[in-house]
Amino acid sequence: MSNEIIEGILEAIYLIFTLNPEVWSVIEVSFRVSLTSTFFAALVALPIGSFIGLREFRGKRFLSNLINTFMGFPPVVMGLIVFLLLSAGGIFGSLGLLYSTTAMIIAQFLLAVPIIIGTGKAAIESVDPALKETVLSLGANERQLWWELIKHSRKSIIAGFLVAFGQAISEVGAVMIVGGNIRWATRTFTTSIVLQTRMGEFGMAIALGIILISIAFILNYGLTRLQGGDK
Amino acid sequence: MSGKRSLKTIISEHKTVFLIIFILIIGGSFGTFFLLDILSARNPSRITLATTTSTYDSGLLDYLLPEFTQKTGIEVSVLSVGTGQALVYGENGDVDVILVHSRSREDAFVNDSDLQTPYGINRACVMYNDFIIVGHENNPAELLPNNSIATVMTKLKEGIDIGNSTFYSRGDGSGTYFKELFLWENINVTPDVEWFGQPDKYTETGQGMAATLQMTYQDANSQGYTLIDRGTWFSFNDTYTNLKILAESVVGEDNLLNPYGVIPINPALHSHVKYNSVLRFVGFLTSDYGQNLINSYTKNGETLFHAAFGMCNSTHNCPTTEEEVSFWKSYQQEFD
Repeated sequence: MSNEIIEGILEAIYLIFTLNPEVWSVIEVSFRVSLTSTFFAALVALPIGSFIGLREFRGKRFLSNLINTFMGFPPVVMGLIVFLLLSAGGIFGSLGLLYSTTAMIIAQFLLAVPIIIGTGKAAIESVDPALKETVLSLGANERQLWWELIKHSRKSIIAGFLVAFGQAISEVGAVMIVGGNIRWATRTFTTSIVLQTRMGEFGMAIALGIILISIAFILNYGLTRLQGGDK
Repeated sequence: MSGKRSLKTIISEHKTVFLIIFILIIGGSFGTFFLLDILSARNPSRITLATTTSTYDSGLLDYLLPEFTQKTGIEVSVLSVGTGQALVYGENGDVDVILVHSRSREDAFVNDSDLQTPYGINRACVMYNDFIIVGHENNPAELLPNNSIATVMTKLKEGIDIGNSTFYSRGDGSGTYFKELFLWENINVTPDVEWFGQPDKYTETGQGMAATLQMTYQDANSQGYTLIDRGTWFSFNDTYTNLKILAESVVGEDNLLNPYGVIPINPALHSHVKYNSVLRFVGFLTSDYGQNLINSYTKNGETLFHAAFGMCNSTHNCPTTEEEVSFWKSYQQEFD
């Protein structure tokens, strides 16, 4: 077993430095899908999340429970739903989007939206109420207040993005169902690792795992620096 | 109401005790399951078989194994994977016996010529079925029923090159994938180089047969083709009604035949394998009784697998030696 891990580390180094086209295809697909879906999810979810966090309204508690439930939505079920919508007999079947990166982005987007809404809402709510009063007493309107709160809770909001991104890039079931794990087209880190393990290519599987973890680490490190950058 | 409250009080007064009891219950049940797993791993009346998705998905094993368990009391746990992975499981001694279809790799698995202990011993030929090519019924590559497989592959290649056909390949190291590579090789085509990075022409799914067939069916331009074993096809032909068999073995041609071999894992290499129980299992499969069961298994009125122990010859692509037949004789007697 330890042999395979050492072999995997060596293979990871070799694959990266030889610019192996298959590995680069996998890296490219994984990041394109995860970043695009997280980005669009953030565009949609952050306004909604902060709005819910800011305002008090009837049914807020119910809505919060609903969002919390969807934050833990089983990815394979989401994959199944998107699959049924996009498959030949489905409502959007004529678009021919099944087994494409777009289908994967749609599934990941739908999974990321509740996560960013939930974390965004919690971030806004966790801001000290005194700050809210101060800002309002200085004569700010609601839009200005909203912006101040976002600025103050940006660390938590960015952490929310990271959670959503981490979930997107490490997810297997949904991308396997709607993407189809097609070589050179929709194969990601996770689906590739499943395949390599099934084929008994443990070295390659571990190599991909190491690359995935390293890239995620670098990304997280960069974002953490960014978060604390303007102290 | 007061009873409920007093229970609450009791719990809050003895928090530590309840916490310890709680941990003991949870930990104890995990421990018990763990222990049960260890015990069952050593139990000779339970063997583990790694096999290909084709034998499992077609329902054959669900049909055969209860008969075996009833006769011997030995239960068989099945890992349904591709041939490539089944062989790796076997090499690592993670399973007791494998049932696979890729003759060249099976021979390498039992090969003892290079002074190395072979992974498996006493391979037995069990049965065969055949591969077919299915595709959308509009058949853009214009395959004809009497085409030889070489003609079929050439037409598919032309269709792929001009873009009116898409071939869905397993691409996963399975027996079916190796058969497909062999068929391309016969017309001097190497798919990886030929259509490198063109997944809309040559789609490597990296998934099982059922998933690959599904993807062929879903092909956006209704121009998908795939190679599939007949057994799996008859499990799905009712579902995918616009897919049809477009090429199959013509008389006198055995390139599409698909022989299955069963190989016990070598106890000299992995002393923990339950070799004696495996011998009885292979005896069951190769006995007249087991062979008749295989022949009698049908789906939608079609025989899916043909028994082949002892009568394999070169035309069935799976030669059986005298040695193989005589070795298993004594283990078959239990069932005949």
